[in-house]
Amino acid sequence: MLKDITLGQYFPGNSVLHKLDPRMKIFLIIIYIVTIFAANNPLSFVLVLASAFVLMLISKIPAKLILRGLKAVFFIMAFTAVINIFWTSGEHLLLDLGIVKIYMEGITYAVFMIVRVISLIIGTSVLLTYTTSPIALTDGLERVLAPLKVLHIPVHEFSMMMTIALRFIPTLIEETDKIISAQKARGADFNSGNLMQRAKALIPVMVPLFVSAFHRADELAIAMECRCYRGGEGRTRMTQLHYQSQDIVMLIVMLSFMAVVIALNFIF
Amino acid sequence: MEEAKHAASIALENVTYRYSIGTPFEKAALQNISLQFEGGIITGLMGHTGSGKSTIAQLLNGLLQPTEGKVTIDGKDIWEDPKKISQIRFRVGLVFQYPEYQLFEETVLRDIAYGPGNMGLPQEEIQRRVADAAKFTGITPDMLEKSPFELSGGQKRRVAIAGVMAMDPEILVLDEPAAGLDPRGRKEILGGIRAYQREKKNTIIIISHSMEDMAIYADKLMVLDHGHVSRYGTAHDIFCHAEDLKRVGLSRPQITKFIMELQKAGIPVESGIYTVDDAYHEVLRVFGEKERG
Repeated sequence: MLKDITLGQYFPGNSVLHKLDPRMKIFLIIIYIVTIFAANNPLSFVLVLASAFVLMLISKIPAKLILRGLKAVFFIMAFTAVINIFWTSGEHLLLDLGIVKIYMEGITYAVFMIVRVISLIIGTSVLLTYTTSPIALTDGLERVLAPLKVLHIPVHEFSMMMTIALRFIPTLIEETDKIISAQKARGADFNSGNLMQRAKALIPVMVPLFVSAFHRADELAIAMECRCYRGGEGRTRMTQLHYQSQDIVMLIVMLSFMAVVIALNFIF
Repeated sequence: MEEAKHAASIALENVTYRYSIGTPFEKAALQNISLQFEGGIITGLMGHTGSGKSTIAQLLNGLLQPTEGKVTIDGKDIWEDPKKISQIRFRVGLVFQYPEYQLFEETVLRDIAYGPGNMGLPQEEIQRRVADAAKFTGITPDMLEKSPFELSGGQKRRVAIAGVMAMDPEILVLDEPAAGLDPRGRKEILGGIRAYQREKKNTIIIISHSMEDMAIYADKLMVLDHGHVSRYGTAHDIFCHAEDLKRVGLSRPQITKFIMELQKAGIPVESGIYTVDDAYHEVLRVFGEKERG
């Protein structure tokens, strides 16, 4: 049940996407997102969707896993689609139900929106979360954001917090599973009653979970202290990041892709 | 009014259990295992890490459903009516490993009363059961009014065990109830469980690594190896087969090894000694005789 959550989990592998420099992946993601939102005609949407699947193939990550991640946002997609269908007005009236009118434009927008969300999720998860280990991800993020230090923004601290948060997601999920089982063994019932009763039934899970999370945080702080952790000042790294030729190639491919999509906007 | 209680026996019949079915991580934790826990005694369930002990514990009270096979109480399949599985959890109590992490109430009293409260018992019955469980786990009346988070680790453990005992299950399964405690804490908790069993005459299964503890507190021992029962019997039956134990990654109590070394050195102590107390008396007997003679 809880273990089936895959959103934002690293899937070890050996593809080109796994080997890219994390900093480059962050730039690529930004370009990719801009491209997705720049697309505004059927041909470019076909291209965007195709690119998402091409990325998926390159990453060699099982499609099943990614599709399961999509299932999690199914509700958001359905909601966006419905809103777009009913609230967009245009010239080509398809159906007049009195209060609501459905236009051809609404349906087109709904389809575009869904394609956008699907590409966004496949693209970002394949480019970043599934193919980048949490450590590499925060390391890359820290480097990319390093210029903000000039503005006295504690970049290192933020990235450390992110690393720790990511590191503890699986631990906390496991812990939650264990506590739920233990309370079930004491006769807790999570599946019946009205909303209020169900919310109340969660107290025996939430309290121990919070207590142990704080406890863990305390222990971790002490363990870091013992290893002389003093923040980012003057801290060196075991792995130094260097851009490789594959990073440059990917950047050129991605930029050309954006150029094509934007060019298509002017043609149509 | 106490009626004469029949002690329930619980069994696994050809049970297979697989984790994460339908994913690349699918793995069989148990493969076609059959075993039976006798009613009215304490059985020590032993095996090395990964031998499926904890999976068995969760199968026994219906937290996990067997992929194949049956779990039966007195011959009746517990999954016959899946809607009534929560009733089975009241009949089969389960205390998890490190149960102190499940405490959540404002006072110890209310935490112990959580299980019986879920059973829908009347208030005075709940109070009676809480007092009873507190007695066996050595929880003092002033502790009952404290917050469980003020207590020490060992005290929390007792509260958690009391919380399941207070449900008065016919069968009580405890997963490593003494793990991580000092010798005195172990003795008090395991002694309390034994006193509880002797009074209630119910069925208790203790999962443990410790040969020393189980030799003292369990009536029968069951040794698991690679998902099947490799030996079942009294401490004496089990510890006679040293090679067998070694093969499954367990060993005889240290005191038994010590007594055997004495024998090897030509001191006429009896074999078949598994507890420090017995060894103490035996050594005194032998050396006392010598001094007299």
